[in-house]
Amino acid sequence: MNGAMNRRVLILLGPVAGIVMFLGVVWMASVFVGHNEYKEPYRAPAATADATPRAEGVAAEKAAAETKAKATPYTEAEYRRFPGVGSRVAIWSVAQLHLLFAAFVLAVPMFAFIIEVIGYKTGDERYDRLAHEFTNLLSVSFSLTATFGAFLTFMLIILYPKFTNYLMSVFSPTFLPYVLLFFFEAFFLYTYYYGWGKFHPLVHLGLGLGLNVVGTAIMMIANAWLTFMMSPRGISDTGAVLSVRDAIFNYTWLPINVHRFIANIAFGGSVAAAYAAFKFLQAETDEERAHYDWMGYIGNFVAISAFLPLPFAGYWLAKEIYAFSQTLGLTMMGGAFSWLFIIQAVLIGNLFLAANYYLWLGMGRVEGVQPLQKFIKYLLIGITLCFAVWATPRSIIATVSEIRAMGGSAHPILGYLGVMSAKNTAVNILILTTFMSFLLYRRTGKVATVAWAKIGHAAQLAIFATAAFIVIFLGVYGYFVEATVRIRLSVPQVSSVLMAMVSITAIDVFLFRGATRTGEVRWGRIPRISQYVLIFIAVTFTWLMGLMGYVRSGLRQHWHVYGVVRDTSPDAFTPTLGFATKVVSVTVLEFFLLIGVVFWIASLHDRPDFQRQAKTTRRTGAHEAELT
Amino acid sequence: MTVPLIARIGALVLATTAFYGYVGQMVPQKEVQPPAEVVLKSDLTTADMVKVGREIMEGKGLCLTCHTIGKSGALRFPDLAGVDGRAKSRVAGLSDVEYFAQSMYEPWAFIVPGFNPGMPPINKPPVGLTDQEILCVIAYLQTLGGTPTVTLQTKHHYNSGTTAAPPSQGVSPGGTQPEAPLKGEKR
Repeated sequence: MNGAMNRRVLILLGPVAGIVMFLGVVWMASVFVGHNEYKEPYRAPAATADATPRAEGVAAEKAAAETKAKATPYTEAEYRRFPGVGSRVAIWSVAQLHLLFAAFVLAVPMFAFIIEVIGYKTGDERYDRLAHEFTNLLSVSFSLTATFGAFLTFMLIILYPKFTNYLMSVFSPTFLPYVLLFFFEAFFLYTYYYGWGKFHPLVHLGLGLGLNVVGTAIMMIANAWLTFMMSPRGISDTGAVLSVRDAIFNYTWLPINVHRFIANIAFGGSVAAAYAAFKFLQAETDEERAHYDWMGYIGNFVAISAFLPLPFAGYWLAKEIYAFSQTLGLTMMGGAFSWLFIIQAVLIGNLFLAANYYLWLGMGRVEGVQPLQKFIKYLLIGITLCFAVWATPRSIIATVSEIRAMGGSAHPILGYLGVMSAKNTAVNILILTTFMSFLLYRRTGKVATVAWAKIGHAAQLAIFATAAFIVIFLGVYGYFVEATVRIRLSVPQVSSVLMAMVSITAIDVFLFRGATRTGEVRWGRIPRISQYVLIFIAVTFTWLMGLMGYVRSGLRQHWHVYGVVRDTSPDAFTPTLGFATKVVSVTVLEFFLLIGVVFWIASLHDRPDFQRQAKTTRRTGAHEAELT
Repeated sequence: MTVPLIARIGALVLATTAFYGYVGQMVPQKEVQPPAEVVLKSDLTTADMVKVGREIMEGKGLCLTCHTIGKSGALRFPDLAGVDGRAKSRVAGLSDVEYFAQSMYEPWAFIVPGFNPGMPPINKPPVGLTDQEILCVIAYLQTLGGTPTVTLQTKHHYNSGTTAAPPSQGVSPGGTQPEAPLKGEKR
């Protein structure tokens, strides 16, 4: 009774205290302004005082300054300088942060939706819980994406006003739909998140689908702006707009849409897996560990599954860049940016190694894994060799005497591994090997019981061997044919790998239908180091996104819009790769600092209420006092 | 002493980014400046033009990004060693100067057999060489297998010269005239 009274008094006192505080602030502000307001010192009225020569001089000076200011015509600034780091680095950093959060916000609903569908179809509530947990990360990330988007827009208007004005004039019809879609995005996102379990499952899935469709549409509009800058279309030589439709449907728009769509899923999956790893390492019970181990596995599975076809989307994008302008393509692969792809090879090689290592560690969860573990060393050898080939540069950094001894900047033997024939072969074999790791993991602890099991295994092996043979054969053949033929060889290489992955997976699904289990999957029984591997994968993915974002944008060199609007600012030069990688590193650190905040805010959801926690602490204290 | 989890994760993130940043420092470092706008002096001699032409080919013209000089094997674009000797007889009715001019102003008018079209018009952005700069490039190209003859006053079909219009009997790799400009040509 007393407690209830106190509560009522508190409820009454709350607004009263608020009003008193508001009045107090108004009073303090008025006193402060009143006492500190600038007041002109008292001077005798002009009529009663003689004007001194000094006063006349001051008045004349003031009048002249006013006249001059009025006569100065208004001029529009072309560029403004950002203090310290300069305008380009400032824009670069903010744009990168915006894109990283946007990628995350677009990706998470995709796999949350798919996981929810699986949960709905199978009736397994674990999937529903997992999908909900993934969306926990969304709302804060969405706010940060919007904040960085607004920040980027203001920075562009302030620092690059003339160019921003031009871009806005070209794409003016796209802005209203963009804003409207943002409203829809917010509607779908919040109803999807807060409506979890409140609607019929199909209605909820509809909201998830809406969220994904709207999110993808937003991405495609923004992609039109940035791809136009790289491969402009629909304008005259002087930049006058001829067709907004053509400006949107420019050469690189569609490949960038596809590439980003897949890359976002890979990146989002890796960050969600890192979140699970963080929670796993924090977990205190076996149940929690089992859940977060599973969540991390799913996140990583999503990331690597999306990552495997990504190089193919990259080929398409590069092909379109060459089709638009051979000069642009050659600048990318053979000019100022060619060494960037060696750094990219190191990153992707690390991603493949880490992803495979995580899968091999994960095999320990399953009882009866020993028969398959003997294959791991062969996979490791294959991956390491491919990594080494991919990271071999065509030209070696060498001293003058070393170059003379080699007979050129390319090594007489290793130089052969630095060309596209070898690299295409290496990356395709790398993808096949990682796919094999997945397959091995998938069948750990299972024995196929279908009547055609032997034939099925043999067929899978034959398809795998054929795909590997085609890739290697065409890779070697590429050394003996002209460039025009060689370029086209990547298509059958890629197609054979894709065909192999699709057909082997299809056979596997039927092969292991109704399979007997030799051992259970013990979720949570995985070495702790595996969780650090997941975090490493997320950082590497993020860094890779930063690097590839740089090459896509930096490729334009001293052009805002390639070949049309020239960059005449002091930042028009192309920086060294060393400088670019420093900017990427700092941006990645900023992102992880912010994503740490997102994780922390998301984890508040699991905390007990403050009052309940306080009561529990008090009770525990009293109990302990009684005992003593 | 146990290191707090957050510190361990922070160290991992820092070490990973630092490692990739370090890899970035290991590759060759080159800062590429935008091409400077240079006004050529009107009294350049042919010998001066050859030097300027070579500079343009290596820099602003971006010619040597694709073309090679004195390289054989499976090339993506024609090698330029001895090109002047070939230019004189490559297209019937075109002198070497006219042929070079056509190759730069209208690169798709004639495609060297065995190669794919890919060269952009050099007088337009993004390369955007001036008429004078193109004459300098021609002067340099003439030294590759011939003797330079052009001056800044040399006229050809594309700089309002009096020379007859070049025949457009371009040969595509398939032996036919390319009907439409390539993807990248028309904006």
